[in-house]
Amino acid sequence: MISVESETKLKSGIRVVYVPKENIFQYLKERKEEGFDTLLMITGVDYRDHLEVVYHLLSTRTNERLVVKTKTDGEVDSVTSLWKGANWHERETWDLVGIKFRNHPNLRRILLAEGWVGHPLRKDYPMDKKQYVNLGDDGEDRVSFDNKEGY
Amino acid sequence: MSDSILVTSLDEALRWGTGKSLWPFTFGLACCAIEMMSAMGPDYDWARFGSDVFRDSPRHSDLMIVSGTVTKKMAPRIRRLYDQMAFPKFVISMGSCASAGGPYVRGYSVVDGVDQVVPVDVYIYGCPPRPEALIQALKMLQDRIVAGKVRH
Amino acid sequence: MEEKVIEVNFGPQHPSTHGVLRIKVKLDGEIIVDAQPIIGYLHRNAEKLSEMGTYPKALIYMDRLDYVAAMNMELGYVLAVENLMDVQVPERAQWIRMLVVELNRIASHLVWLGTHGLDMGMLTPFFYCWRERERILRIFDEITGSRLLYNYMSIGGVYSDVTPKALEMIKEWESDFVDKLNEIGSIFQKSYIYVARTKGVGKLSRDDIISYGVTGPMQRASGMKRDVRKDTPYLFYDRVNFEVPVREEGDVYARFLVRMEEMRQSAKIVSQVIEKMPEGEFYNKKYSKPMLVRLKANGESYVPTESPKGEFGIYIIGDGSSIPYRVRIRSPSFANLSSVPTMLKGYKIADLTASISSIDPVFGEVDR
Repeated sequence: MISVESETKLKSGIRVVYVPKENIFQYLKERKEEGFDTLLMITGVDYRDHLEVVYHLLSTRTNERLVVKTKTDGEVDSVTSLWKGANWHERETWDLVGIKFRNHPNLRRILLAEGWVGHPLRKDYPMDKKQYVNLGDDGEDRVSFDNKEGY
Repeated sequence: MSDSILVTSLDEALRWGTGKSLWPFTFGLACCAIEMMSAMGPDYDWARFGSDVFRDSPRHSDLMIVSGTVTKKMAPRIRRLYDQMAFPKFVISMGSCASAGGPYVRGYSVVDGVDQVVPVDVYIYGCPPRPEALIQALKMLQDRIVAGKVRH
Repeated sequence: MEEKVIEVNFGPQHPSTHGVLRIKVKLDGEIIVDAQPIIGYLHRNAEKLSEMGTYPKALIYMDRLDYVAAMNMELGYVLAVENLMDVQVPERAQWIRMLVVELNRIASHLVWLGTHGLDMGMLTPFFYCWRERERILRIFDEITGSRLLYNYMSIGGVYSDVTPKALEMIKEWESDFVDKLNEIGSIFQKSYIYVARTKGVGKLSRDDIISYGVTGPMQRASGMKRDVRKDTPYLFYDRVNFEVPVREEGDVYARFLVRMEEMRQSAKIVSQVIEKMPEGEFYNKKYSKPMLVRLKANGESYVPTESPKGEFGIYIIGDGSSIPYRVRIRSPSFANLSSVPTMLKGYKIADLTASISSIDPVFGEVDR
């Protein structure tokens, strides 16, 4: 049994637990066996000195919800072997926030074009440096910082 | 005799034929596409203006209605589809996202208006514009084609 | 002779995809071996732009997420923000919110029905469904002033009241809506070709549904009786009578039957709401001038609601200032669409359009 670091509640009454990042896979596996069988979403948040990964769980038998959080500096274990739906959520978190998931089968960008530089939902992303996208001859995207090379 | 013979020049007849039978290309991107489908529907019938058929292939159509936000990932594909249409071809940019970027203009992945990708003939403003605005734009384009004031 | 697997691209512009979806399909003859969807062609950075403005300003981006059911999207945002800031909402405003949300659910399912018929090659249901939808949009025009994207709900209530003329229009609409709906449904159910094309196609088993996080009518068509309005009620859903339709088969025909029954149940809710609605205020006067009052919020909140596509909610983190720190949108179509590789494997290529259209994805919500 993995024990939690600390516990609190959301404003709407859902329980929130903090777990250290080395134990996160084991903790989620225990919760899945206990009855929290649905993973609703995986989020990444950038608090300027560290990053956090947030998991929302739901039990379809008892209607209970649980939010699991863990602090990290860039890398976390992937949970695609527990829930198949975690595949796309983790790809989106890598794409927009920049958190790497170890043992993910296919960690590539999903919403932005391949070759984009940077992770936009970080607080230090430069919004004034624009990037431009064009289509190569092989059908894949090419991204550059030059105005004349794309749209 | 005079009410059964029509005298005109070939240019005018061709322009009249082109303008009054524009076949649109199904290119709905976002919310404005639902209003475009409403304009095709039974209440604001679009087919009475000559555009009854929506062709799905760019080679068969001559009017492209860009309805919705143009993102950077989608823009090169729009250019490719425009290049595949045959002359004479026209573009209507529907909604404020396609005309000038819309409410997303400060974003990092949105192109500020489709006129940076393809040349546009008529702009419609609104978020989303009513189907009557789309029909007015079609009438405006038809009048300009018949009068000969378009690019080709 | 060697068997070759060819790869076909259903590009972002295709007459039968409900928006900009690209699928890379690997075919062995006519059987689908693998299907990978590629999304991101409508990524409009709603989450980043919400972090650059105040709480009332972020409401316009929520409208445009699922643009056919905009009231449900606004409701998800407004409930989370009011929960965060401890705002009291008057009772009449909550009943009005229920009314417009259920009307919008019917309008969204009518769009699905019309375009589903178009994908299967039937042109008549498209015109019939749009004729019914126009009557609902005229009701919205009378209440809110706009047809498709409303900006109607605000923090503390709604923007304008339901006038007696609007109530007249609603009563006239609901007197014959269910008969017309049954007429449209019989076009599908009595057509031998439609039933043969959709029975047994695109099946998702119960384990796949739970593993992918699929919610909404797809979940109810595979035998799981779950609905956020009954499990964790919000607004006044515990004071009206309605049923949740469930089917066991899990194929495209079952999803069609579930959505048809949902429309009938929503019409039942609408007729109960207009009887039970009390008189009173429709907004909270303390929050009536949001530009002058800088609304500050601290803490985190998530309130789940039931949109026509599944479970929808907005997870907001506030840091004590008047600008939200993180706005994360839990979109149901994103999770529903991630089940495409399992749903299509082993079926023929002609079943692809039927399966994708039964998911009912809306790309404003998938790409945000």
